[in-house]
Amino acid sequence: MKFGIFYELSVPRPWDKEAERKVYLNALEQVRLADELGFDQVWAVEHHFLEEYSHCSAPELFLTACAMQTKNIHVGHGIVICVPEFNHPIRIAERAAVLDILSGGRLEFGTGRSATWTELGGFRANPDETKKSWDEFVHCIPKMWMQERFSYEGRYFSMPSRAVLPKPYQKPHPPMWVAVTSPGTELDAADRGIGSLGVTFTSFAEQEAKVKEYRRRIQNCNPVGGFVNNQVNTVNFLYCHGDTETGTKVGMRMIQHFNYLAAQLDMAKEAYPTKSYPSAGLLPSLRRQASSPGEVAKAPEGIAVGNPAHLVNELKKWEACGVDRVNFLLNAAEIIPQEQVLNSLRLFAKEVMPAFVESQPAQVAVGGGR
Amino acid sequence: MPVFGKQDAQTTAARAPLLEGPGTEAWELKNAEILQLSFEVVEGPAEWLVPPALHPSIPPYATFSVARFPVSPVGPFMLTQVRLVVRAGIRPRGYLLAAYTDSEQTAAQLRSRWGFTVGVGKIILQARHDRVIGQVAREEQTILNIELENPEQISGADVTYLDSLHLARVTENGKETPLIVQIDPEYVFHSAHRGAPHLISLQADAWGGNGKLHCTNPMHATFCRCDTDLPKIRFVMNPLVPATQGSRRVAA
Repeated sequence: MKFGIFYELSVPRPWDKEAERKVYLNALEQVRLADELGFDQVWAVEHHFLEEYSHCSAPELFLTACAMQTKNIHVGHGIVICVPEFNHPIRIAERAAVLDILSGGRLEFGTGRSATWTELGGFRANPDETKKSWDEFVHCIPKMWMQERFSYEGRYFSMPSRAVLPKPYQKPHPPMWVAVTSPGTELDAADRGIGSLGVTFTSFAEQEAKVKEYRRRIQNCNPVGGFVNNQVNTVNFLYCHGDTETGTKVGMRMIQHFNYLAAQLDMAKEAYPTKSYPSAGLLPSLRRQASSPGEVAKAPEGIAVGNPAHLVNELKKWEACGVDRVNFLLNAAEIIPQEQVLNSLRLFAKEVMPAFVESQPAQVAVGGGR
Repeated sequence: MPVFGKQDAQTTAARAPLLEGPGTEAWELKNAEILQLSFEVVEGPAEWLVPPALHPSIPPYATFSVARFPVSPVGPFMLTQVRLVVRAGIRPRGYLLAAYTDSEQTAAQLRSRWGFTVGVGKIILQARHDRVIGQVAREEQTILNIELENPEQISGADVTYLDSLHLARVTENGKETPLIVQIDPEYVFHSAHRGAPHLISLQADAWGGNGKLHCTNPMHATFCRCDTDLPKIRFVMNPLVPATQGSRRVAA
């Protein structure tokens, strides 16, 4: 199993002149260290208007900075919103290709559709249509990359024959992924031959069942791109400390703070009744039952906070579920001081990563890619 | 930390209904019809309508509902509510600004049992082939006129009704205390429709808006037939401190 890091870039109030810059610079320092330590992917979300929770609205710029300051780590769009009110598909293809070139072929291309009314309503996008526009985009974008010229008449966009330029550095194109929030999206990923990028927290049993069905379905997929990206990533929190009590306490504080910020947003399901969003979105586990307003969010199982031995134990369970890679959120609203975040990364690399060196290599792209 | 409400909850609570105590019995409400519209509201002023225990959601929005309850322990009644959507800690809730029902007898029960800030008005709910109409008048003046246009059938599973929070006064240990009570009904849907929301007219000050409730972006409208209830009160909270610190359970 491999390990990556994942950024929402949450910025606590007050938003003074330096607040956002500090979050971005801290993240870049973490990415440089992660690259040196052997983490193999860094992902950045695309979110808009999500006060404090995520100020990462231009991930292609952040990821370009990451690529320019590192040597090996892959840079991942986690994800690009494939909804026409947010992004035109031609612009998505162009920007991603440039990032792939500048990074020397290190782009992981994640796709998705947004899960909040805060964003969808902000762009006046129709929640009923997002899954359909995503589907159209993921079928067209690899063709824009692989074909010298591309033309299209579709439901969400049309274009006469043009050369969409530049072409990506990776041939035939970067590995493609889809963010899995709503139940069943992992099957959409499998059917299209693209990677499953888990961005919500699940139980071991749920994850194992999802991976099993994904692996089965992808055998008979109709790939949207030039190759099949048979990989399953999941997301987790990371706080690693030599002292169990400190590691757990600090890590849980981060998790609770993250969940608290996420809970303030208007999820699509809450704000707009549609079968297009069957789950509550970013934190479905929080919303299952009406209960006490005084309750804090409980940590889902398998969370990587605590001492190294505990982390090895929990991550082995994810590995046993068939997960290829775990991407870690390292902080929330800068609640953990930067030096402690860096120390957590160092300790993880020194004492946890070696336990996974002998593991089976992650599933790889078939028929192209890397 | 997210923005907390800035309402002067002490002053507002002084005008809030006096709850007999949180131990009220539940009312079963069969075959209810509920029209609900949602609109985003201007965020800055809306913060002053929310007690310091709660956060306005991001972005804040209001729900306008007109409901008919043909079966209840006090007979048939109508109920309309205007609520601001908030977060109590991590929980999405609708904070009641004001309500109207169609008889003083029902209003008295709703105030004393569940802490509804409720007046009496003339309420109309009409489901037509192309629209559902909800109107509320007080002293011959229309204070709310809403419509769901072009209803299309959806699944009740796609509808989310948020639990309510009511600011009330409660006598505890011989002393009157302001409390927010949580009302968390259950719903069994018989049918559900969705359509375009139209806010034809709103006298915001008749709903506790105090010049601070300004609707902007329309979100959705639903019209549902369902069985529901007004349940026992399970949770209460101090309106002056964050819900994560000031909440307590009062019934199973």
